[in-house]
Amino acid sequence: MPALALSLVILFVSAPIFWLLKPHRSLWFAWLSALPPAAITVWQVLQLPTVAQGNFIAERYAWAPTLGLELALRLDGLALFFGLIITGVGACIAFYTAYYFEGEPRQGFFYLVLYGFMASMLGLVWADDLLTLFIFWEGTSITSYLLIAFKSDYKGATEGARRALIVTTAGGLAMLAGMVLLGLHVGSFNISEILAAPDIAAASITPVALVLIFLGAFTKSAQFPFQFWLPGAMAAPTPASAYLHSATMVKAGVFLLARLHPAFSELPLWFWTLFLVGGFTMVLGGVSAIRYTDMKALLAYATVAVLGTLVMLLAFREKYAYEAFVVTVLAHALYKAPLFLSAGIVDHAMGTRDLRRLANLARAMPLVAATVVLAALSMSGVIPTMGFLAKELMLEQGFQRLEHGDGLVGGLMYAASVLAALFMVGAIVTLAWEAFFRRQADEHPAHLHHAPSPGFVAPALLLTLLGTVGAFFAGAYENLLFAPAIAAIAGEPTTLQLKLWHGLTPVFLTSLAAIAVGVGVFALRNRVRRAFAAVPEKFSSLAVYDATIDAIYHFAYRLTTVIQGSPMAPQVSVTLLAGVAVVVYALFFPTARTSVLLDSLEIPSIAEWLIFALAILGALATVRARSRLSAIISLGVVGITVTIFFIVFGAPDLALTQLLIEVLTVILLVLVFFRVRPDPFIEDDRRRAFRLFVAIAMGFFGFTVVMVNHVTQIGESISPYFLEKSYSLGKGTNVVNVILVDFRGYDTLGEITVLGLAALGGYALLRSPQIHKLRRRIVAARSAGEDGAHPVSPMKHEATEVGHD
Amino acid sequence: MIEIYLRLVDKILTPVIFLIAIFLFLRGHDMPGGGFIAGLVAASAIELTILARGAQATRDRYGPWAVPLAGAGLTIAVGAALLGMYNGGFFRSIWLEFSMAGEKLKFGTPQLFDLGVMFVVVGMAITYLLRLGEAAEAAVTEQTRLERQREDRHR
Repeated sequence: MPALALSLVILFVSAPIFWLLKPHRSLWFAWLSALPPAAITVWQVLQLPTVAQGNFIAERYAWAPTLGLELALRLDGLALFFGLIITGVGACIAFYTAYYFEGEPRQGFFYLVLYGFMASMLGLVWADDLLTLFIFWEGTSITSYLLIAFKSDYKGATEGARRALIVTTAGGLAMLAGMVLLGLHVGSFNISEILAAPDIAAASITPVALVLIFLGAFTKSAQFPFQFWLPGAMAAPTPASAYLHSATMVKAGVFLLARLHPAFSELPLWFWTLFLVGGFTMVLGGVSAIRYTDMKALLAYATVAVLGTLVMLLAFREKYAYEAFVVTVLAHALYKAPLFLSAGIVDHAMGTRDLRRLANLARAMPLVAATVVLAALSMSGVIPTMGFLAKELMLEQGFQRLEHGDGLVGGLMYAASVLAALFMVGAIVTLAWEAFFRRQADEHPAHLHHAPSPGFVAPALLLTLLGTVGAFFAGAYENLLFAPAIAAIAGEPTTLQLKLWHGLTPVFLTSLAAIAVGVGVFALRNRVRRAFAAVPEKFSSLAVYDATIDAIYHFAYRLTTVIQGSPMAPQVSVTLLAGVAVVVYALFFPTARTSVLLDSLEIPSIAEWLIFALAILGALATVRARSRLSAIISLGVVGITVTIFFIVFGAPDLALTQLLIEVLTVILLVLVFFRVRPDPFIEDDRRRAFRLFVAIAMGFFGFTVVMVNHVTQIGESISPYFLEKSYSLGKGTNVVNVILVDFRGYDTLGEITVLGLAALGGYALLRSPQIHKLRRRIVAARSAGEDGAHPVSPMKHEATEVGHD
Repeated sequence: MIEIYLRLVDKILTPVIFLIAIFLFLRGHDMPGGGFIAGLVAASAIELTILARGAQATRDRYGPWAVPLAGAGLTIAVGAALLGMYNGGFFRSIWLEFSMAGEKLKFGTPQLFDLGVMFVVVGMAITYLLRLGEAAEAAVTEQTRLERQREDRHR
């Protein structure tokens, strides 16, 4: 059974179903919504033993075989490890969402996007094809954008969403270029085949491809200097922040690096980039977290720090780094998601999540307090939590390097880890203390609206408990869950034995010292915050980003005023003359094709001469017209004669289309000009001469192109094929339609995409301030009893217009 | 004056034009017609309504449909193409053929795709027709206002 594809289809299909169910009407929906991800989680758990034996499940589906595009899925240790986090945490988040959005009518839309995200994320980690991975990757970017912008009337939300989208999709495009380079070099986009390709690390394109892929991974996983979009993404509703911007999506970049690790990690480029970028991001995020009094912003910076840690750990090819990596990923998902969820509960119950206004919540919501304390212990790395295990393993990695004489890397890593860790301890203790235990808030104490129900707290508590007791029982599942994941990252099978207690090793003592100093940072928190407030904002990467985007807008504006600032006629002339220039060039540098041009002219029949004459008359009438209205109608005559041509040559579909377009445009132009009294229809002779020249040149252009097309044939005509196969392959006797919707479906899809974008563009124009001003004027005119609603008699218009001439 | 009989025409003819659009769409795979043409025909019905009732009233009737229709059209088109993956790849067609009451009927993903094309065309047409219609109305209002001012000053 194609279980992997089926899981994705279930998630993609449940998205619109949940939307249509109008979930805000009942809390029972919480259970229902958690069902699909929970079921997939159970299925994945059942696969653990099989995968642990080194087997994997692979499914491949042809997508566009002629393009070499396929949907390839592969469930190996790493995919399963991440997949379990995605659906497991996903089930908790889905449950929580029903409580968070209780009674909110847009809850259904939130579920729609949330499930769409879950399916994309799962597809991303299960993908075994770079292009498949890329498509799902973009899917997560877009759903993330929609979730951040959920509160669309709040400016911070839309700004944050746009920033996140621009940064991650820009990185995604760079990554796509890197993937294409890799794929073309290997001759396949299949990830397993690329990783297995001999000497792929030594290939000449590899450094370029890697740097491009790094850009994708670093933007997605909020690495320095792209980390700024993540705090901005905190404008998203809390379930989305907990899920996308902490537990899953931001780990996509880290996941990709882990995926590519076996083939490329031996390169110095790989090691130094990941080590330095990851390490710096870790310190930056860890140290700045304490500065923020918004609970979610504080947690966001702590997330940045962990992402940096993960990237740094992937630089290494050693046992402790691998172990630290997988344990950190799991531990982080199990403590950071509950912390976010708790922040959401506090926000929900108190109407704010600003630490300055909170105090003493432990009494009002003891379960939430317990959750936060347990999660904070894990985040601080207090024994015996999973966070402790993660930190221990990371420090051990640095220590091993030190012991083996690599003082630079080991020392840097050790120092950076400790520095980040102690500030993060300070930050999380600050959060827990100020919100839940101190007696008095700093300013404007918030009041409890309503205490959270147990169901609201349950998902967070469940995840925290897993993260707390998980370390105790690591022996039960370490070789089922962690070892296969490590095997996929390292490229070779492995077994592991995690231990909570190693005795009083130097690493353990360092860890203890970090916690102690962290508590010291907590004690001095106000001084630390003040020190941060003194740092100028000017050099932050956010400021650089904003300046860049401003510069792009400015440039676009300048460019547009230069090339499109003039009235319409000169602009159109430039476009037309450019086309003419191409033809003239081709004629002056003739090839064999143009020389046969004049030999093969056919004499048209009388009927055709008549239609020609009609068209020419119409064109002349247009030029000679004394009013815009008669010009428009004469132009319509020309269009109709073209329609007649199509009928004469037996192309009813083209004729129909042309006729409709002609009618629509004529009516439209009449609609516009009929009611508007135009400027005088006079112009000076010089302009007229220029336009005459453009018109004649354009006629020459059209004539030449048609004739050349007519007499030259490059290769064999495809028309007989279409005519012959239209019914047998396309099941239709209208060949034009079969070509449009079947044989040339890609073309049509591209065209309607453009049409759809044009519709959106028109919609955006409608919402632009200028149009609003116009509409307001109409309304004002109507209410004032002016005759704006009843246009002045068209006859009168015409009369005045002629009078001008 | 002109609007009164146009309103009558609109009332009678608009439903008929929509029916013609559906007719053209349904016959499109075998006879002249199809999604693109049907979409344009439906657009002309909307244009008639704009002429008869003004852009504002037309917006109230059709405006909210424009962008969702275009979006739904694109989704349907991509969905129809994706269904083809059952048959070996993106855009591979799937046909169901059966006969009912002596008539041979067939349904296929290309027709579904064509439906998407029609929706996109209609959605785009509504957006632009309304926009241009409103711009024209606004310009008329503005012009009338300026003229009045000028006349007042002459007096």
